Amino acid sequence: MNKDKISSQEIIDLVASKALVSKRAAEEFLKAMISSIEEALLEGEIVKVKNFGTFKLQWNEPRKSVNVQTGEEIMLSGYHKVSFTPDAVLRELINEPFAHLFPVELDGEIDKTNYEGSEVPLDPLRIFEEQASEIKDLLFEIQALSSSSTKPTKETEIIQDEILNPDQKTEIPIEVIDELETIDELEEVDETTEISEFVIEDNEEQLQDNQDIITELDAIEPVEIEVESESEELEMETTPNSDETEPDKRKLWLRVLIAFVVLIAVGCGVYFVYPPAKDFTDTTFEKTKMSVLRTSEKISITDMVNTISGWFSPENKIAEIPHIVVIPKDTTAIDSINAKIAVDSLQALFDNPRVYTEFIATERFKDGGRLTKFAKRYYGTKEFWVYIYEANKAKILNPDNIPTGTIIKIPKLNPLLINASNPRCMQKAMELHDIYVKQ
Amino acid sequence: MNAPKSVVADLLEKTVATCTELLVEEKIIGFQSFGNFEVRKKEERLSVHPATQIRTLIPPKLVVNFKQSNILKDKLKDLPNNE
Repeated sequence: MNKDKISSQEIIDLVASKALVSKRAAEEFLKAMISSIEEALLEGEIVKVKNFGTFKLQWNEPRKSVNVQTGEEIMLSGYHKVSFTPDAVLRELINEPFAHLFPVELDGEIDKTNYEGSEVPLDPLRIFEEQASEIKDLLFEIQALSSSSTKPTKETEIIQDEILNPDQKTEIPIEVIDELETIDELEEVDETTEISEFVIEDNEEQLQDNQDIITELDAIEPVEIEVESESEELEMETTPNSDETEPDKRKLWLRVLIAFVVLIAVGCGVYFVYPPAKDFTDTTFEKTKMSVLRTSEKISITDMVNTISGWFSPENKIAEIPHIVVIPKDTTAIDSINAKIAVDSLQALFDNPRVYTEFIATERFKDGGRLTKFAKRYYGTKEFWVYIYEANKAKILNPDNIPTGTIIKIPKLNPLLINASNPRCMQKAMELHDIYVKQ
Repeated sequence: MNAPKSVVADLLEKTVATCTELLVEEKIIGFQSFGNFEVRKKEERLSVHPATQIRTLIPPKLVVNFKQSNILKDKLKDLPNNE
């Protein structure tokens, strides 16, 4: 790096020799140029020199400062300053040595940002766990009261609404339980809350052993069904009045619904708590599906007892299953995009090894020359230098350091491939860039 | 300066070209009574997007810097303070 200072006189000489004019004329011109710029600036105008830059006056506000030696406060008066903004052309020429560098998003951080989405729902789960303990407390209270059952049909409607709204899902159990003030049902709900906690604990330990959990679920499921059939029987016994069968059916359906909702909530919780468990998303998803299936089986059992639940459950399933499907979609978004890309022809262009047969020009490498420079000149965008490199791989050992005098050929490229306005072309070029620069 | 427009335009273009060449060679150009043009290297740095928290490594770059001379500064002092 030579930081030689070129004086006005030297500039005059250089300009004179370049423009083939006398030194006097050049000197005169430069002085006139500078003084005219100055004058214009003093009048508050903006001076723009093509391909060089813009001069502008900038007013710096007066500010307070402290005298370093005495600690006294002093006032710096405001002043004008000439600001110079280099033109894009000049800026790029100057930055030539670093033109091949691009801002890089740090890998480690990308993961973090991906995780962000799954870290947020942690709070609802914590609330869910809190609510689980609340439910227990409530149950004890209810047991103590052991009041008669009241069955408002309104509640089912509320629940239906809330199932469609997954955010409030965790609140459902409490509301439902408030309503279900029968001991039989208390037992069952207690069972389900326990089960949900059980599953959560399992998951918190480690998700790695999926089979364990699946078997665990297998074990849990029958218990639930048993409890239910028991309570069914009990209810049949305790309802001698045929007029009351309708609300009882509702109750039954509600219980099924609770079990179902809890399972779904647990499934969601499993997914949300464990960002690293994304790998297991598929298995978790399958699991949830299995549990959904089981729930539907359960419902079909109760179908025999009532038809209302049969009417509600398919709707329920329809409402819930899409919700489950949506979550994995976020994480596999990239995959799906990739899959989409694979279909069209541009991808074929990317995937097939490019063969360079036609060339539009031959270039000789100058001192400080760069592939990006040629790419900019021939393709309009510097990012596509990778294709020039590909075409000249045999001659170029290190794309960052090409010896002076190397003769390279500029290949003719498919205009589709070097469409700078297509983000995928740019992305591909960047990918290739990363590959070649790392070599 | 008494010269046809085309000549002046040519001279200006040549001057700009000369200055650019010199700057590319990382030399300091000093115009007496006006100021210095200088190439400075901005070191690479980490930038954090305030909204998305994405951290990006900004590569080093070279930029042209202009510093006004004291003579020009004195001239500017006479300007009114309001703008």
